[in-house]
Amino acid sequence: MPESVLTVNGRRHAVDVEDDTPLLWVLRDTLGLVGTKFGCGGGFCGACTVHVAGVATRSCTLPLVKVGGRAIVTIEGLTHPVQQAWLDLDVPQCGYCQAGQLMTAAALLTRTPAPSDDEIAAGMSGNLCRCGTYMRIRAAVRRAATLAAGHDAAVAR
Amino acid sequence: MTVAVSRRTFIHAALVAGGGLVVSFGWDVPRLEAQAAAPPLQPGGFVRVDRDGTITIWSKNPDMGQGVKTALPMVLAEEMDADWTRVRALDAELDRGKFGGQGSGGSGSIRDEWDLYRNAGATVREMLAGAAATTWQVARDEVRTERSRVVHAATGRTLDYGALVEAAARQPVPEKPAWKMPASFTLLGTRVSGVDNPKIVHGESLYGLDVRLPGMKFAAIAKCPVFNGRVRSVDDRAALRVPGVRQVVRIAGHENPTWLMPGVAVVADSTYAAFKGRDALAVTWEEGEFAAESTATLSAQFDAVSRTSGVTVRAVGDVDAALSGAARVVEAYFESPFLAHATLEPVNCTADVRDGHCYVTGPLQMQTSGAGVVAAAIGLPVERVHIQVTRLGGGFGRRLLSDYAAEAAVVSQAIGAPVQVVGTREDDLRHDYYRPAGARRIRAGLDAAGRIVAWDCHLVNLSRNSYRRSTPPWGTETYGLVAGVSNDVAPDLELDLVPWHIPNVRLRYSEPRSGVATGAWRAPAHIANAFAVETLLDEIAQLTGRSAVDLRLELYGAARALRITGDDPTPYNPDRMAAVLRRAAERGGFGQTPPEGRVRGLAAHHTFGSYCAQVVELSLGPVPAAGATGAAAARWVTIHRVTCALDCGIVVNRSGVEAQAQGGIIDGLGHAFFGAITIDRGRAVEGNFDRYRLIRNREAPAAIDIHIVASTMRPTGFGEIPVPIIAPAVANAIAAATGTRIRRTPFTREGFTLG
Repeated sequence: MPESVLTVNGRRHAVDVEDDTPLLWVLRDTLGLVGTKFGCGGGFCGACTVHVAGVATRSCTLPLVKVGGRAIVTIEGLTHPVQQAWLDLDVPQCGYCQAGQLMTAAALLTRTPAPSDDEIAAGMSGNLCRCGTYMRIRAAVRRAATLAAGHDAAVAR
Repeated sequence: MTVAVSRRTFIHAALVAGGGLVVSFGWDVPRLEAQAAAPPLQPGGFVRVDRDGTITIWSKNPDMGQGVKTALPMVLAEEMDADWTRVRALDAELDRGKFGGQGSGGSGSIRDEWDLYRNAGATVREMLAGAAATTWQVARDEVRTERSRVVHAATGRTLDYGALVEAAARQPVPEKPAWKMPASFTLLGTRVSGVDNPKIVHGESLYGLDVRLPGMKFAAIAKCPVFNGRVRSVDDRAALRVPGVRQVVRIAGHENPTWLMPGVAVVADSTYAAFKGRDALAVTWEEGEFAAESTATLSAQFDAVSRTSGVTVRAVGDVDAALSGAARVVEAYFESPFLAHATLEPVNCTADVRDGHCYVTGPLQMQTSGAGVVAAAIGLPVERVHIQVTRLGGGFGRRLLSDYAAEAAVVSQAIGAPVQVVGTREDDLRHDYYRPAGARRIRAGLDAAGRIVAWDCHLVNLSRNSYRRSTPPWGTETYGLVAGVSNDVAPDLELDLVPWHIPNVRLRYSEPRSGVATGAWRAPAHIANAFAVETLLDEIAQLTGRSAVDLRLELYGAARALRITGDDPTPYNPDRMAAVLRRAAERGGFGQTPPEGRVRGLAAHHTFGSYCAQVVELSLGPVPAAGATGAAAARWVTIHRVTCALDCGIVVNRSGVEAQAQGGIIDGLGHAFFGAITIDRGRAVEGNFDRYRLIRNREAPAAIDIHIVASTMRPTGFGEIPVPIIAPAVANAIAAATGTRIRRTPFTREGFTLG
């Protein structure tokens, strides 16, 4: 088996798995990073969302060989106001989809720091939640945008 | 430690005498002995106070998103006046001695464990307060408790709970500790963020699929695509050539397929290798007698059977005479499909069978019954099955069954190593135990004044009770249907029939033949039954020119408390039903003119002791062009606002109740529009979320307003009641706008879609 080098959450890992293995399973079974969730295996639900070179990406349909040298950030390595907003508004119910929701929300706010309600609903619509936490997800993304703006303003001062 | 043993006996006896509880509530003797130098205060299995003031509270039932791991500790913390910031909550392991029966289902955790957790909290509070009074040599009634400390107001002295642990352990155990009055609650009724949220937002290990044990293998199981089928032969040569695959294990299955289905397990070093190995298996199946079954054959069967007489389950008055004498008879036929549970965390479980014991770690809703299922599968006494639940990535009734725990145990036993059995999404959707499909044919007789004088309902529904031979098949399928108010109301209500003032009511049942596996699905029979009842009622109101609110109030009748079972502490009260109906109608503007282009619909329901009514405000897109096909043939429905009034007695966690209302409405909406498992050639067709559509964020309502009735009544179940109401409310609004009465779900197949 060829050895690949992955950069995950700022750390380099040499991994020895089949090239076609989806990134999801490398993270979970090889590196023990179980925060990224398996939901559908087909890129439909978004539970497995990670950042690949800053872009929210479905890790369940991304073969290891396609990752190349791009840096990966998983929920374990995320540091973003969305996390505080999720706690403040008690977003999770079962919580299983929330790692993916958070990764998508963080990427959305990086791209669009002050999203409209429609942009939030549209931007979060690729992540499914069976518990129906969508109302709070929308509110928490708005709150995170405010928290991030406050943080940026404080840094600017 | 004789002192501990005597205390254990004492507490056990005290509780039996005080509250009639059969649950052991003893000291943890081995733990006390092990920590004899500095024992924590731990009167029973539910709570422990450490000397640093940390308070650990165990949730005896699993958390699947309904919030019980936060809410049950809140009840105890409130009663013991604990500082919530110093409380940590843990999932209890299976331990009948400490916790009694364990499991989450039927919206029961708060309803059923309320007394237990309050008593546990009050007991600890009294012992801590007594310890402080003894230390200060003052009378007990001179001290009070607040935020994890005991206060002597007269002298201004305070002692932290942590400092009182040893003295409290020497206190007598109160026989009947007094409970706080609801007016003095400081924690209950507030909004508390879930105890596992910090772990969730940082991706820490919490769920069944996150379990990792040394030397653990992973397994995927091939099952017959046709329900009730079996393995004829297996060629596993290609599977065993897949890198990482170690072994192939045949699973014989149990005669009760809800305990264990037959299949072939592929064991590997990683999840992905197990999936690939399973795909490489060549299995020949014995498809069995249901291989020709389809959604079309089932629908034809429902329709035909609904025209026969069926078994009369309950009857009041003379329905036939009342129908033949009625001025008008309204007849409607409703049909509902199979639904999958589609928990975002696919079915999985980890088991380790060794040294004559089985250790199960995983997402089970029912530890107690699960232990029995596992024990039967591997031939061990149930006492040797140990279960530690993880957090559940959704339950919705799927994990009431423990078949996947039995699978993990069987495979672990066969390979002599710990194993995690993992289902793919396709496994999860195509081998579920579905919400049973069925139909109801209802005839309502109206007199000349438009009053309902007869109600005849024939329920033709697969039963989720098929494998529970101790109860009749209709035992769980009639929930939410209507009963006449009779002298025999308690037996009627054991079926959870809603008592309405209709003089002649008959409920008939027929069980169709099908091989499709069935189970409980969040608010089980209430979903389809409330849809039929609430939409037909709306139609009758419209036909007779009456307000949908007034008609319902007339049927609910005057205030009275009816006992659903002999010992139900929260009997149905039509006055509470009427109150939420009025509140939702008023706050949701039902009966008032909506904004231009919008229309409103109303529905209400009672179950699990709680009451809920909803008003939806929606608008419709343009009528599709003639000849349009597929998605273009459906008319768009946009949900602007849902107004939800609810009464669940005392609110434990306000954030939790609001979350269940928001989530239940969204969940009910999604399944009303999209949810259906299609059967073809005896198989479930939909295998992933591309074809089994869940509602998306942008399709959820723009706003959900929640109005909670302030109450000091005992708390009742709220995890399921919000779900069944939204679909009929939407159908009623669509009827008001278009005149079209929708009588089947999913709505997308009836010409309406969500957007």
